[in-house]
Amino acid sequence: MYPQQVHSYLRQFFNENDCPIISEEEHYLTVQLTADIDKRIMNRPFYWQYVEATNSEANPAQVTFITNQTASTGNLYGEAIHFGSPRMNQLFQATRELGAYVQLFEKVDNAIGQVILTPWLGVNFKVSYCCDQTKEMLYSFGINLLTGIIKEEFQETICASEFDTVPADNAFHVQFIIKPLRALERLHATIEKIIEQDDHSWATEAKKRWQRDQRVLDYFYEEEEDKPECYEIEKKALEEQYDTKIKIEIINGGLFYLY
Amino acid sequence: MRIERSSEWEEGFINKLNELGKWDSWTLYKMNYEIVKMKLITDFTGLQATKYLPNLTPLKHQLEAAETVIERMNGKAILADEVGLGKTIEAGLVLKEYLIRGLVKRALILAPASLINQWVEELNIKFHIPAVAYKKNVQIERHDVLIMSMDTAKKSPHKERIYEQNYDMIIIDEAHKLKNHKTQIYEFVQGLKKKFCLLLTATPIQNDVFELFYLISLLKPGHLGNYDTFQSAFSASKHDLEHNDYLKELVNQVMVRNRREDTGIEWTNRRVQIVPIQFTKEEEEVYNLLGTLQNTGSFSMITLQKEMCSSKEATALTLSKMMEDNAQSQEIEDILVKLMALEVNSKAKKTLEIVEQAKDKVIIFTEYRATQIYLQWYLHANGITSVLFNGKYNKSKRDYMKHLFKERAQVLIATEAGGEGINLQFCHHVINYDLPWNPMKLEQRIGRVHRLGQEHDVHIYNLAIANTIEENILALLHTKIDVFEKVVGDLDAILSNFKESV
Repeated sequence: MYPQQVHSYLRQFFNENDCPIISEEEHYLTVQLTADIDKRIMNRPFYWQYVEATNSEANPAQVTFITNQTASTGNLYGEAIHFGSPRMNQLFQATRELGAYVQLFEKVDNAIGQVILTPWLGVNFKVSYCCDQTKEMLYSFGINLLTGIIKEEFQETICASEFDTVPADNAFHVQFIIKPLRALERLHATIEKIIEQDDHSWATEAKKRWQRDQRVLDYFYEEEEDKPECYEIEKKALEEQYDTKIKIEIINGGLFYLY
Repeated sequence: MRIERSSEWEEGFINKLNELGKWDSWTLYKMNYEIVKMKLITDFTGLQATKYLPNLTPLKHQLEAAETVIERMNGKAILADEVGLGKTIEAGLVLKEYLIRGLVKRALILAPASLINQWVEELNIKFHIPAVAYKKNVQIERHDVLIMSMDTAKKSPHKERIYEQNYDMIIIDEAHKLKNHKTQIYEFVQGLKKKFCLLLTATPIQNDVFELFYLISLLKPGHLGNYDTFQSAFSASKHDLEHNDYLKELVNQVMVRNRREDTGIEWTNRRVQIVPIQFTKEEEEVYNLLGTLQNTGSFSMITLQKEMCSSKEATALTLSKMMEDNAQSQEIEDILVKLMALEVNSKAKKTLEIVEQAKDKVIIFTEYRATQIYLQWYLHANGITSVLFNGKYNKSKRDYMKHLFKERAQVLIATEAGGEGINLQFCHHVINYDLPWNPMKLEQRIGRVHRLGQEHDVHIYNLAIANTIEENILALLHTKIDVFEKVVGDLDAILSNFKESV
């Protein structure tokens, strides 16, 4: 993430969350946080506990974020922020929480006249393969809640569309037939099938590494009838190091009424 | 295959469907997806950490070391770069990578007390890793990345508290302190669970090959076999190595070692020489008399002879102690009288010569406090300013002495303990006034000066008095260096620029 990307990310994030930007130049922006965003990104739980306990007036922070320190001149006072900095991670976490569930209706040109919107459940999954190494994959699925048809790369197909939180006057939206939770189960089944058919030589390799290390360990304690505690500790460490598992996590998802 | 599914999102979704709480915005939804996509770890291999550390520019050998540790050594390795090449950076990169990949949640770092603050600073500022130094009131379970001194960690109740924590990664700095398997610290580390583990030391062998055996047996028990098989396969005697190519290969499977010359960085030269010195007749007489002492009690003859090679002050101290509890005190007293009558210290004289010729900052390392004080007096009498340095000084006193040396004094006289944890790149001359038994101590001493940032050639003078125990020490140092090079790899010049066969 380049400094410009960080900068526009911040601007967008604060705009979306009703935090007014007080002053801004190419390399910095000063923003007045709301109480909610302050709690999420400023890391001061004791202050907020105090405010709530004493019922005193909340005073959310005003912060200057310097997005490009090399361009910064004079005595600009603020917090340098970049990809990987702790504050950026808190912003990402806040985005994660604040961008998790949507219900949206596609905008339709009035000129077209009366239209029917079809309900879809869209879900973005992150799948992680874990052993002593990791690999992650992103899957975006949409399932038509009338027909049950499943579309891959759903997010990519809808990301350019415009949406409203309420249906337009000229749009009539059909209620779903397949219940969203039932549809979610079907998406889970789909993803598990994909995983099943994937190449899992990574797991076989990890198991080999594990066995090799276990053999070495056994050799070290070979002579000893009653294995000492260290042996069990090392054995457990190897298990934790090489044990293979797959994690499925939902990033976000929601109901999309599409034209 | 085990599949873990989190139901967290689903629960929130049910709430929204039941109209508890409002839906989120499309923009934030898209931003969330984009961030996850950008942070996605698409490959088992390769480093992610560098993306997250735009303000850190690791050197090529540091990146390669981190990759090798993770990809070829599965996160268990000895980082044995030569002094001053940035082992801390390599360890930081590995830790960061595992944190990003979610493979490590909690890590423990053990370091000598004098280096703890440096670790806290480097991890927090360079790596954005919220590491905390362990102090009395620190609640151990609250912090995911904890830095502790080895001396604290090995003792109760700290030891037990650490064992209760489930650390995924253990990093041990200056790991040569674990060379002896009979020590408390060794036992403590042996009892720790080591899922991922880094041992940092520039000197994995200091005296003999068993030290490396014990170090590797901590990291990966069995990798070099058990004690008996190792002994029969590799060591007829401690210094004589057979099958050393095979051993070297095994060692290289768990050890990363960068040398200055393969870092691609321009290094200044080390000009190392042995400076032979002749005792005066009077000195020689006393030295030989010491050798005739029959019953030296708890003091060894070797100690006395080494001290005599250093200064009469150091020798006198030991002799006086011996007199207190010794029957042959008359004999000792006679020697003491002769000793105190000595007017010339040939070694100090030579040292003065070197300092005067250098016309530059010089560090003198001695093993004895008495010699240290004598040298300061002697240099002062000859118009040369000096400051003292020893390992017992606290951080602020160390910093102050370093400052004085840099700004005011020509010479810094340090005792052995002063060898670690100070960086003095502004100095280009090192005199090893007394020789230690362990060549790696010499390497550590030279490393204070010959490290990243040194702009001049560095001159090293190893002083040795002819026809004394110092000649034996030299021979032994050569043998030990030879063992190191056969098993671990080549070393930069320590004793002299010319390889000698002993």
